Amino acid sequence: MNRHAWREVKRQLRESGAAGVVAVVLVMVAGTWGGVFWSLHGWVDRELLARGRATTVVAVARGPAEAASLRQALSARYPGLTVVALSPRNVQEELARWFPELATVLLTLDEKNFPPILQADVAPAEESTVAAWLRARPEATLVESSRAWQARLESAVSRILVAGFVLAASLLVGCAVVVLLVVRLLVLAHADEIAIMRLIGAHEGDIRRPYLISGSLLGAAGGAMGAVALAGLQVALHGTLPGLTVANWLLAALPVAGAATAAAGAVIGLASLPKEP
Amino acid sequence: MIRFEGITKSYNGRHALRGITTRVDRGEFVFLTGPSGAGKSTFLRLLYRAELPDSGLIVVNGADLAQLRRRDVAEFRRRLGVVFQDFKLLRRRTVAENVTFVLSLLNFPEREQQRRAYLVLKQMGLQHRMHAFPDELSGGEQQRVAIARALVLQPDLILADEPSGNLDPERSHELLELLKTINYQGTTVVVATHDRGLIEAHPARTLFLERGSVVRDAWVTAP
Repeated sequence: MNRHAWREVKRQLRESGAAGVVAVVLVMVAGTWGGVFWSLHGWVDRELLARGRATTVVAVARGPAEAASLRQALSARYPGLTVVALSPRNVQEELARWFPELATVLLTLDEKNFPPILQADVAPAEESTVAAWLRARPEATLVESSRAWQARLESAVSRILVAGFVLAASLLVGCAVVVLLVVRLLVLAHADEIAIMRLIGAHEGDIRRPYLISGSLLGAAGGAMGAVALAGLQVALHGTLPGLTVANWLLAALPVAGAATAAAGAVIGLASLPKEP
Repeated sequence: MIRFEGITKSYNGRHALRGITTRVDRGEFVFLTGPSGAGKSTFLRLLYRAELPDSGLIVVNGADLAQLRRRDVAEFRRRLGVVFQDFKLLRRRTVAENVTFVLSLLNFPEREQQRRAYLVLKQMGLQHRMHAFPDELSGGEQQRVAIARALVLQPDLILADEPSGNLDPERSHELLELLKTINYQGTTVVVATHDRGLIEAHPARTLFLERGSVVRDAWVTAP
């Protein structure tokens, strides 16, 4: 790239005007949006779904005697399990702690209104067999596993993530289209100049390069701004969601992805260059 | 240097050139003259390969122009100096940038580009307008910038289409003297002009074109 080409790039960036700004903003929004969803995806996996972490199976017993019998049978059947028995009083106190607004009401109720509960931490692989075994026992009235809500959460989260990524991809395609239009408009505006440059010995590469570079710079600028916005969001949310981190590679990749998307748009836009005889 | 064999070119069925066969040797100075519409500009456009002939063979500097690949066309044009009738200056670039454009394509060092631009613009009396844009110049000044751009690379062949069209008589003669000087140094020069007085004041081989044909090929001297 010689001095003339760089000056041409600067002129084109100036001439891209409002459309260029739109392209930069689109890449920034797409980059930030995609980055937020990518980081959320990792955070949900790590913090909420925690694949591989022990699963909890909870069984509600018919009464204290049944709870004791069930605990004995469970420990005999699965000796390695950690089983915690919560008496009706414990359950009452636990609920009052979970729902402080209702604590006064809950604590005034007779503890006989609360069932005894058995809580067993099992390995994810054993969860279904332990839950099935408990359901088959007459002492238990209700058996629930944390796996079930985990699966529901996972399904909901994955739908939201897919929608988020589709939107980010659509924004990037939009950015490529805007850059394509910007380059096409510049080519049309410079058609006479391009013809002159050819007549005085410019190669196609000499002509196309500044358009490609200015298009890519618009995308890279949008990506860099997206990375800054993403890093800013991380800092802002650090107090609320300390586990939510944005990977450094993601911050570095955003300008590159923006430049690549915009370059693709510019390449398509350059197809409108008039051909030589 | 230049060989035309049976060159025919037409636009929308109207013949611009009809079966022209001629040659220009290395180091020659040739005028191309004739009335408007005789085919002078088409003759030159074929020479710098802005057009391809409908039939016939054009060889310039040993290269068959019809056979040149796209990449080679650019290389070929860099060895030519062309002064266009409508100047064809790059409007968004300064005078100096217009003149150094081809040098930058060839990766000349920045200082050398500036040195050459200054020298050639000084020769044209335009060294003080190096940073002006073409639209800030008069027609004559633009013409001289176009000539400076054609000369800056010291090409093997200079093609000039009505180079004196926007110059006053004194400047026109100065320009012709300059082209003659360049020609004495070995550069082949082809000048298309309808200015009979200019031809007679600078005796040289002259091709007379009429309705797309060469009707006379003679050495013209002052009457």
